[in-house]
Amino acid sequence: MHQVILDRLEEYLAGTPSSREFTAHLESCPECRTEVSEMQDLSSALAALRSPEEFAPRAGFYARVSERIEQQRPRSLATLFWLDPVFGKRVVFASVMTLAVLGSYLITRETDYSGGPPNPEVVMAQQAPTQDPDVMLATLASYEP
Amino acid sequence: MGLATGALPFPALGSRAAVRRRVEYENSQEAKLVRRAQAGDEAAFREIVERYQSKVFSIIHGIIRQRNDIEDIAQQVFSKVYFSIRNFDFRSSLITWIYKITVNECFDYLRKKKVRKLVYESDLSEDEVRRVENTEPAIDRQVPVDQNLAQRDYVVKLLARVSEEERTLLMLKEIEGRSVEELAEMTGMNENTIKVKLFRARQKLVKAAQRLHRAPAVS
Repeated sequence: MHQVILDRLEEYLAGTPSSREFTAHLESCPECRTEVSEMQDLSSALAALRSPEEFAPRAGFYARVSERIEQQRPRSLATLFWLDPVFGKRVVFASVMTLAVLGSYLITRETDYSGGPPNPEVVMAQQAPTQDPDVMLATLASYEP
Repeated sequence: MGLATGALPFPALGSRAAVRRRVEYENSQEAKLVRRAQAGDEAAFREIVERYQSKVFSIIHGIIRQRNDIEDIAQQVFSKVYFSIRNFDFRSSLITWIYKITVNECFDYLRKKKVRKLVYESDLSEDEVRRVENTEPAIDRQVPVDQNLAQRDYVVKLLARVSEEERTLLMLKEIEGRSVEELAEMTGMNENTIKVKLFRARQKLVKAAQRLHRAPAVS
């Protein structure tokens, strides 16, 4: 479509009297003429969506809107438990099961240390090399500060 | 002469006029009402509902014509307005924003329900509906009972093939009878941008119509 038509297309489709330049171009350009004609047909067709009458809601519309808003408002966790006991029971059951599994795991691990952590003195005594008391006495006797 | 379709002037964004319009709108009474609603003022939200409920009902009625469902869709529209009003950024007017939500809600509704059945049968009396239901469905339901209903069905199909923004602009222009200047004011875009967007939307509609006519009989 040519610029001269593009510039005035909306006014033309809205029924505003078109300029001489616009009309002259439309008469001489078959491509523009076809395209404008197709757009004009669709423009008229769109009028089918115009409501034939004024439509007013029944009394109490705002109250019904408020009700819907309340239904669609995101619920807090506490409300979920309160309004949906089945959901609450499921969450409680799942939590108990998780605690049970976690608890048994911890208890199992605890038994590995049943004697408590090893005493450091015992460990040192075990790791220290065994010494002969005679050798130790000889060492002390020969000791010179 | 070569076609100039590809040489459309690029829409200028954020022009001075658009900025001035936005500033003016942000200082308007309506903007004050919106800010109160954004702050959680229930009375302000109520005022918005009461101010635009008739408009919303008329838009829905124009597209759907299913009387029983109009109120349900309208409730959903205002519920969406309530939950998303904090995101309203004053780039367009409130009615343009609500208009867009309403049109989208109608098209969502039509997508969910089978479009054809709705459009053809919505305005029929109970007897007519019964008669249609008792006849051979594969043949009779394809024949539009009323020319206007068939026209609306056709237009709804075409509009479903353009973007949300294009659909809203086309509807505001063709159904609400807004001028390019008014659309620029309502959307915060400049007039040239509106013209380009409308032209592209119209081109898409023409192509969709051509494809629809080429398609074998009514699906």
